[in-house]
Amino acid sequence: MTGGRQRGRCRRRWWAVAACWLGFIAATAAAAELDDVRARGELVWGADQEGGGPHVFVDPENPTRLAGFEVDLADMLAAELGVKARFQQGQWDRLPLLLGRAADCVINGIESTPERARDWRCSRPYFAYALQLVARRDSPLDSPEALAKEGPRGPWRVGVLTGSAAEIEMRRRSDLAVEVIGYDGTVDCLEQLHGRVLDAAVMDDCITSFNADRFGELRGIGRPFAGGTYTILTAPDTPRLSAAIDEALGRLITDGRLKALYDRWDLAGRQQMLLLRDAAEVPPAPRGSLAELIRGALPLLLRSAGMTILLSVASFPLAILIGLAVAVGRLHGPAWLRPFLAGYVEILRGTPLMLQLYALFFLLPKAGLALPAIVAAILGLAMNYSAYESEIYRAGLKAVPAGQFEAALALGMTKWQSLRHVLVPQAVRIVMPPVTSDFIALFKDTSVCSAITVIELTKRYSVLALSTGRIAELAMVTALLYLAMSWPLSLLSRWFEHRLERRSERSQA
Amino acid sequence: MIEVDSLAAIRSGNRILDAVTLAVAEGTVTTLVGPSGGGKSTLLRCLNGLETFAAGSVTIAGHRLAPGAHSPRDLERVRRDVGMVFQSFNLFPHLSAIDNVTLAPRIVRGVPPSEARSRGLELLDRVGLSRLASARPATLSGGQQQRVAIARSLAMEPRVMLFDEPTSALDPQMSAEVLDVIVELARGGQTMVVVTHDHGFARRAATQVVELVAGRVHRAGPPAEILTAVAR
Repeated sequence: MTGGRQRGRCRRRWWAVAACWLGFIAATAAAAELDDVRARGELVWGADQEGGGPHVFVDPENPTRLAGFEVDLADMLAAELGVKARFQQGQWDRLPLLLGRAADCVINGIESTPERARDWRCSRPYFAYALQLVARRDSPLDSPEALAKEGPRGPWRVGVLTGSAAEIEMRRRSDLAVEVIGYDGTVDCLEQLHGRVLDAAVMDDCITSFNADRFGELRGIGRPFAGGTYTILTAPDTPRLSAAIDEALGRLITDGRLKALYDRWDLAGRQQMLLLRDAAEVPPAPRGSLAELIRGALPLLLRSAGMTILLSVASFPLAILIGLAVAVGRLHGPAWLRPFLAGYVEILRGTPLMLQLYALFFLLPKAGLALPAIVAAILGLAMNYSAYESEIYRAGLKAVPAGQFEAALALGMTKWQSLRHVLVPQAVRIVMPPVTSDFIALFKDTSVCSAITVIELTKRYSVLALSTGRIAELAMVTALLYLAMSWPLSLLSRWFEHRLERRSERSQA
Repeated sequence: MIEVDSLAAIRSGNRILDAVTLAVAEGTVTTLVGPSGGGKSTLLRCLNGLETFAAGSVTIAGHRLAPGAHSPRDLERVRRDVGMVFQSFNLFPHLSAIDNVTLAPRIVRGVPPSEARSRGLELLDRVGLSRLASARPATLSGGQQQRVAIARSLAMEPRVMLFDEPTSALDPQMSAEVLDVIVELARGGQTMVVVTHDHGFARRAATQVVELVAGRVHRAGPPAEILTAVAR
């Protein structure tokens, strides 16, 4: 066999792989229409099991199983379409992004809003909700109207589910003295309310009544207000799938099966049916121009970019200080301390930043220490990065020739004087490039802080993109903002490296 | 000024120093000579506690060092009175020449910065480098670096100066400029111990020559007596 033929075969194989890839991408990019769903025999529905009950939640008696009235509803709808239902996990506020890629429809307490009606196909309403204010039993808050005046600790801290109608409503109400804090899950939010991090929470009434047993010390404040309906979302280019879902819902409503479902879940089936009968359709919002979009979004994005900068510049110096102390302690500290410091580094390096932030924000309040989200975020970032910085400084300290330490000691300096005036200053110079590059990494890692309710640039983007439907345009703007901030840092890092190279060239000459 | 009594040092099972006894009088120059691996540097480093020893004792500038680990306080006291110059200079690369010289007086002795600086400039002048006071070590030649290192040690006003092969890393011309400085110091009455392979220097400056072979004092005496006999 000649080399040429072998190459030819390789090339053909390469083409085959590329073709498969393209086919795969094409297949996943095109939204599945009704025929595709039937041919596949599966209706893939998107929801967030972290969102909580009664919608979709992990069955506490069998954690491998999902429960919730929407799980049952998805099964019934799929059966109406002659297929089986398959669950697809997604983050609640980003569920619509699954459409056309990983899911055929989204069924997860998605409230009908004009924005959603504009960007996606919305089914007829299948559930009516109202917003309920909840607080601890010992709270001075006695009615939703009381939110208009500041509480004893300043503005009321009110938790909501990020992207929910409750969040939109509470942020819209400029007449209220509230600080609105967005959570990714309803249980997280109620836990924080229970742990006194929050003063109150606003969520759909079905959620508060479902959780009433679990959080006995919380109570509903006043009557539900500002209601609406849930809708099933499908991709914009799937008119027949959407119509089929509407018809199936219609059959479930008329023959009483939906009412029976709600009664089974203790969701007042008869009242639901009355509300659904009278529910008005939500008209789609008009689509604004790009200039309008940017004019509206830019101030918000810039403010959140400020949060990103605050998190970075507050946490990194702290990370460096802790890291340096840990490195010096591991190399020169007392022997009994060293294993503890090594453990500190391994634990913080070996577990995800997200988990550490969770622990600081959601677990510490249980131990009686409730940190504000920003403090928890800065502390979490600083501790996480201090582990990496300490390893860099350890390497830097080891890279300083042993003769330097001896020379300092021979001059009568103590160990700590030698470290402070001779070893550490040299180590700091040696590690400048990797440390600067870590600063850029931390700068981008600040986006993880959105998991503990801090709204920084990425989170702001995500919220804006979903509420406006301009995912691509806003992504460009956001990416540009990140670049505008990290580019100077890269230049700085290159400058340091350049300076160090010049110095080492000179010393070799 | 220095009394070394039956000193023994062991490193990883090997006896590096064995029953070494010697005395150095104030204002004299002792050179340690002998083949490589004979224990010269180890002996020198035992004198200021950079290395520990297993048996015997060292008394230097009125301080006594015992076998085994030394306490940090003892070491700091000894080292304030005993300066050391290394083969590889070991200047602090992040500091200018003058800052190298003034660092220890400022932070160890608490000398005010302005006073430390004027005294430092005097010392740099003494080693012929006052015009390079603000130069970084990396921009200086080896000979210049070693002269700054000497000035740095002198700044602590040590009663004894230890030199560990101060010219081994230098070419002959640079060696000469460094040796001139050391000889000048010796003439000024500075007590010093110098480890060297340079017999010319030993003849020129030494009061006493001690030859160490395999960790033992092979011979000791005035240079004229010892150096003629040391085989070349």
